[in-house]
Amino acid sequence: MDKSNQDGGADDGKAGTGRHHEQIRALYEEHHRALIAFLHSRLSSRADAQEVAQEVYVRLLALEDLSHVDSPKAFLFRMAANMSLDQLRKRAVRAAAPIDPNDNDWHVTPLPEQHASAVQQWKVVQQALRELPAKTSKAFVMHVIEGRDFSVIAQAMKLSERMVRYHVGHAMAHCRERIEAEVP
Amino acid sequence: MVTTRPAADAALTRAAADWWARLREPEPAAQTIEQWLAWVQADPRHAEAFEQACQLGENLHAADASTRDTLLRAFAPERRPRPRWLAGLAVAASLLVAVLGWRVATHGGPDITAQPQRYASGIGQNQDIRLPDGSTVQLGAASTLTASYAKGQRAIALGTGEAFFTVTHDQAHPFVVDAGEVRIEDLGTAFNVRRTGQQVTVAVTQGRVRLQAPGDNKRQPGMELMAGQQADYDPRRGVFSMSSVSVDHVAAWRDNRLEFVNEPLSTVIANVNRYSRRPVQIADPRLGELTFTGTVKINTIDSWIGALPRVFPVQVSSFADHVVLDSAAR
Repeated sequence: MDKSNQDGGADDGKAGTGRHHEQIRALYEEHHRALIAFLHSRLSSRADAQEVAQEVYVRLLALEDLSHVDSPKAFLFRMAANMSLDQLRKRAVRAAAPIDPNDNDWHVTPLPEQHASAVQQWKVVQQALRELPAKTSKAFVMHVIEGRDFSVIAQAMKLSERMVRYHVGHAMAHCRERIEAEVP
Repeated sequence: MVTTRPAADAALTRAAADWWARLREPEPAAQTIEQWLAWVQADPRHAEAFEQACQLGENLHAADASTRDTLLRAFAPERRPRPRWLAGLAVAASLLVAVLGWRVATHGGPDITAQPQRYASGIGQNQDIRLPDGSTVQLGAASTLTASYAKGQRAIALGTGEAFFTVTHDQAHPFVVDAGEVRIEDLGTAFNVRRTGQQVTVAVTQGRVRLQAPGDNKRQPGMELMAGQQADYDPRRGVFSMSSVSVDHVAAWRDNRLEFVNEPLSTVIANVNRYSRRPVQIADPRLGELTFTGTVKINTIDSWIGALPRVFPVQVSSFADHVVLDSAAR
């Protein structure tokens, strides 16, 4: 029964709204860790991931009910995918001017306390990237450092988008393995 | 102490990195997300491995300028040969670089056109580009385009947004536009390409183009589109649907009008956002599937948004820096 879905059923809606909130809260709590991880992977920032997750939650609460949704879980992540894409587009527009490596203004300054361990990690990452085929490290650096989409890299390197994604994933795996092995 | 890690750990690290890369597609398929969820929730160690990949991604993203510079020099030195004095110039000046590069290339000098030239327009700002071969591009707002003129090729990639091409025909050097999965080859032409994610619309105003989807190959060489025709590429099915279009209506955006015929609201909003001071967000994905036909004037976007509740079951909430479209409370 979804009374809250009927026209003019303002009073009937209260019980429905309570149930709806309960349902959303349960959904959100059940998938909270995965949701944060999902947004973290896309936004490259755990802080931004938490902020967007919060926004997703608020939006879900504001919806009337989810009774028409086949899979609330899929709905939750699709919403998160859309909202993270909006966030990325906003960032991209802010950085719309061509990226110039000689220009030092566009980078994000790391927090001071991250610095010490970061220095060591950079050495490991650089060494790991040297061990990989040139194409693999190039695609990876263009993606994570220059922030280029797979499609742009594909065009620049004359590869398919799928190959670019493969190179980027491969480089990530290799860097992670090296860090596991060498950073205590 | 370096300990030997069990093979299972290495496999886990690889799986996590692979998923990480897949989810970094601008628009991952619903199926990808579903499969990832099944994987990440199957075992806490999966989640942990995935989070570690994310954290490394974050560290790289937040790298300071000198680290970035070092990594770029070492692994992606594309821009290095570009003369330093050119580097500081803004987008407008890239035209000069391209022309200069073309001339140098055709005279056998150092081939700086080997560096793809990238163009990006701001929100609400169309941009005119003249390419080294005399072809012109009118780039819509918030759009990105890369032109590669190395070795006499003419390869364009539309990263996002919309562009109208007027091509100088040169049979020896085909003019090719890649828009995600779709490839458009010029056959003597003026045409418009709009890319919204992987969804691509091509409309021809003059001459014809050849279209290729990922499934096309030598035996199935794609299809030709003539003046007055439009093709919409549906990435979910990997096929084009054709319709006829009035040449006057193609690329109306150049006259500050965005025209839509039977298009999903999500596509409409994505394109309106390229011109809107405040991005519009669709809070309820179900709204994105509603169909819209009509014209949005670029200089009256705010009032168009304000009027949406009159035609759709939506409510509009305005904030200082964005607007939210949500399902109307019934």
